Amino acid sequence: MIRIKNLIKDYPMGRETFRALHGVSFHIAQGRLAAIIGQSGSGKTTLLNILGGLDTPTAGEYWLDGKLVSQFDQVDWSHERNHTIGFVFQSFNLVPALSARDNVAMPLIYRRAPLKTRRRLAEEALRQVGLGDRLHHRPTQLSGGQQQRVAIARALVGNPPLILADEPTGNLDSHTGEEIIELLRHLNRQGHTVVIVTHSPEVASQCQEIFRMQDGRLVASEATG
Amino acid sequence: MSWSDALRVAWSGMWGSKLRSLLTMLGVIIGVAAVIVLVAIGNGASQAVSSRIETLGSNLLFVTPGGGTTFTASQVAAIQHELPMTALVVPELNSGGKVSSGTTVGPAALTGTTPQYPALGGISIAYGSFLTAQNLTALQHVAVLGANQALTLFNGSNPVGEHITILGQTFRVIGVLNPVGQGPGASQDNTIFIPLPVAEFLVGSDSLSNIVVKTSSPTAASLADSLLTNLYTNQYGANAVTVASEDQVLSALSATHATFTDLLAGTAAISLLVGGIGIMNIMLVSVTERTREIGIRRALGATREDIVLQFLLESMTISLTGGLIGIALGFGLMRLSPLILKSPAVFSPDSVVLAFVFSTAVGLGFGLYPAIKASRLDPIDALRYSG
Repeated sequence: MIRIKNLIKDYPMGRETFRALHGVSFHIAQGRLAAIIGQSGSGKTTLLNILGGLDTPTAGEYWLDGKLVSQFDQVDWSHERNHTIGFVFQSFNLVPALSARDNVAMPLIYRRAPLKTRRRLAEEALRQVGLGDRLHHRPTQLSGGQQQRVAIARALVGNPPLILADEPTGNLDSHTGEEIIELLRHLNRQGHTVVIVTHSPEVASQCQEIFRMQDGRLVASEATG
Repeated sequence: MSWSDALRVAWSGMWGSKLRSLLTMLGVIIGVAAVIVLVAIGNGASQAVSSRIETLGSNLLFVTPGGGTTFTASQVAAIQHELPMTALVVPELNSGGKVSSGTTVGPAALTGTTPQYPALGGISIAYGSFLTAQNLTALQHVAVLGANQALTLFNGSNPVGEHITILGQTFRVIGVLNPVGQGPGASQDNTIFIPLPVAEFLVGSDSLSNIVVKTSSPTAASLADSLLTNLYTNQYGANAVTVASEDQVLSALSATHATFTDLLAGTAAISLLVGGIGIMNIMLVSVTERTREIGIRRALGATREDIVLQFLLESMTISLTGGLIGIALGFGLMRLSPLILKSPAVFSPDSVVLAFVFSTAVGLGFGLYPAIKASRLDPIDALRYSG
């Protein structure tokens, strides 16, 4: 599903350049549940942004779902994000003016799906995350855990093979966080490849593969099960 | 993103902040309404002129001395001698001064003329009679009032037989004219007509302002035109005396009105431009406020072009909705304008097209920069943005 080779990312910092990634390589097979773990500043967020096509690597190769995507332009990447990737963010990132259903249906707008299809698929996705009775609620009318469920429904509504989650439990209490991780594990069992970026060892311990980042380098990778 | 979805997103964006959208629209609404109403008023004024050309025909000639030449009453006979007997030749000595009825004092235009004046057309007697030949020969101090003068000086009551003071001399009112209304003859409503010899005496000069010639037909008028032009060119040299037919005078006036209309339309267009700047301002605020939404949309698969389309359609929705409301408001005001303005407003389809095209262009032009700015946001920064 994901194969990166010698990924380097430099950021200009005044006259100097700051190297956030020092040649990272790994492979995550389709259908796996993987965690990228590391402290803040370890480069894990930079890595996730590159994996999601929100940032481009300075050097190195990135193969996603069999395509060499490291040199994609914004149009190709927009299409790729829309079809291949579902995002889950730490701060949920729902549009406050829209209902839960309209938030969930948003990725389908950019697939030019008809309105009726979008509503039907969004309602299905919301039922799948246990919010079938909250279709018309605004994000502010929902609890943090419910908002993250809406965000997960939005990530899976287009049935993308890959789900990228950036600290999905970071803004939640431990019990709610547990439920969200369980939901992501459930999606993984249904066939989605799931990659979770986290600094929490408890979350990472529930994944099949763990990639440990430190100072822009991959320092350990372990596979369980 | 499909067009219908882009429109739906734009509409909900506008609907999401109703008051702000309405206030932003107000600039366009006022601009468009102003274009329609002001152009209609300007058109009304110039159409009054052209309809007068059509009803009167062009059998009037205005002979005006200039360039050191002066005309006296004797010139009237000279012109009459030159032209067929059917032609009517009427002298005018125009002046102005303070007039008083004892209770009211005001300014008045004075015209010293002969009994033939009403035969030129355009005026009619409401009360009493016009100047008579006897008034002239006997140097009687009598006056005929234009409709407005009668109204101001005597508050609408019949003034025939009353006395007024013009430039310190007492005159007896012998007649009142009907209102002429709008158009180039409107000045006659404010005029007081007195016998020519009395006017010469009052003003202290026998130099006429101009001589009006009425012929039996437009053909006769153009014949008389060339006859008189030749006569005066031989007598005084070229351009010393101007001979102009009524339609020449009126079309000059008409051209002035057209310029006036353009000026009004230009002023209104400026207010539309200001409305456009208001749209740009609000769209820039909206882009900043919705930075995070833009980041989310990019992450979920929106291309830069999708973002441009969304914000451009939003600004165009605002300006077009404003344009439509403005057109409706313009029509409403145009209907009301006779109550306030006296002049008839004449609707011009061009002004609606102009207003519509302009408001579309305003939405497009002033929405483009904010939309492009939105599309250039870095998705990572946008997602992290906390306003």
